[in-house]
Amino acid sequence: MSDFYCKVINPRDPAAGEVNAIFPHELTLHYYKYLPVRYENLRAAKFVLENVAIIFSGVREYNGGGWCYCGRPPQWYVRPGKIEDFPQDMVFTVYMNPNYRIYECRAEASADDDPRRPVDWQNRYGGVVWTNIS
Amino acid sequence: MDQHFLNGMHKGSQEFRPQPWYSADGDCIIYQISDEAFVAHRIDDMLTVYRSVGGDRIIGFQIKGVHAILRKSGWEGLTVSSKIGADGVKSVSVAAMLLAAYEEKPFTMGRRRGYASAMQSPDYYCDIPLTEFQPA
Repeated sequence: MSDFYCKVINPRDPAAGEVNAIFPHELTLHYYKYLPVRYENLRAAKFVLENVAIIFSGVREYNGGGWCYCGRPPQWYVRPGKIEDFPQDMVFTVYMNPNYRIYECRAEASADDDPRRPVDWQNRYGGVVWTNIS
Repeated sequence: MDQHFLNGMHKGSQEFRPQPWYSADGDCIIYQISDEAFVAHRIDDMLTVYRSVGGDRIIGFQIKGVHAILRKSGWEGLTVSSKIGADGVKSVSVAAMLLAAYEEKPFTMGRRRGYASAMQSPDYYCDIPLTEFQPA
């Protein structure tokens, strides 16, 4: 059993460099075996982690917190073997817990006030910890 | 598209299987009944439903804060839907978990619609063995 590590901006202190986000073995194995389209879209998750637009804190109200990385992959899988451009009105989100372990990644509708953020972002997160201004 | 970054890490056959899965890292249950891309719609702190892309079909959902639900409802609170499998392992009904999550928050029409949409498919009436609910 082995996890996959991916260098990401440190959400606790973005100025402090990078940390390893973890794609847990049990998650990638479950996706590989039983959710093939999700497995293919782990590519989109990795792209977003490495090309993040915004990082939110304050996810998982009932647990120990965590972060949401938001971005837009160029393409994604919509069905087995079928690749399409990622929709303009959506954002791809990757969620990780305080141990930097990823537990969810998915597309969400974009907010009207900022297409890089998911809808209702004002009420869902604790705050913005980093924004790509380039 | 480029080769998958996990290429070679996992081996064996791939076959879509609609079964609920508990993520200890997220303390959440994810469940999909169709192998396709989806758009996630957050209903509240505890439920997100998955809608098919380009359609309006509900193809799955995520239940969050599972141990908070279990602490409040208690295992006994879910026993109405628990059962003993042929292998002697107790299971918890995903539908019972959805109902327990629904009872956690004040009533609104939006929540009612969201939870009803998650429960409308008979495909969701399934169980997860208790042994899978180990915290991370």
